[in-house]
Amino acid sequence: MDTEEQKKTTNSVANYLSGITSSPVIVKLNNGFEYHGILSSIDGFMNIVLEKCSEQVGSKVVKNYNELFLRGNNVMYISQA
Amino acid sequence: MSAENKEAQDTEVPQILPLELIDKSIGTKIWAIMSDFHEFVGTLEGFDDFVNIVLSDVTEYDVSKKVVSKKSKMLLSSRNLAMLVPGGDGPDF
Repeated sequence: MDTEEQKKTTNSVANYLSGITSSPVIVKLNNGFEYHGILSSIDGFMNIVLEKCSEQVGSKVVKNYNELFLRGNNVMYISQA
Repeated sequence: MSAENKEAQDTEVPQILPLELIDKSIGTKIWAIMSDFHEFVGTLEGFDDFVNIVLSDVTEYDVSKKVVSKKSKMLLSSRNLAMLVPGGDGPDF
């Protein structure tokens, strides 16, 4: 259980992350804020750097950022836009 | 604890470990419920040691079970993950 299978599953998270860097993503935080932008990098804590990013609250754009760091502890999910 | 009891516990191996259940669910539908009652239904692609999970064809529900959004693929953080239901169809059914 600890070998092949485990490797496959752990890789799927890493693979997903490496597959979506520099593509458009949506990040939702636990407070409900959404950030739509281009993923420039992400680490194991789910700290995230977005480029050309818009902040959306209740699907309304409230602010735009050229570059933005999101601390990982606030992140609920990251998905492909 | 008596010696007998201890021995019984030592020899009693759990039928299935918690994470084995999740591992067996890879490739099938899964229902994830967050501690704030947000819900996600999708196909489980994989998970890591923290049980951060990758889902595909995801439907997101808010606390009132309304569909908020649909996503092709997402990484869901384990930080507020409360429950995983293998084969779960979500709040609609």
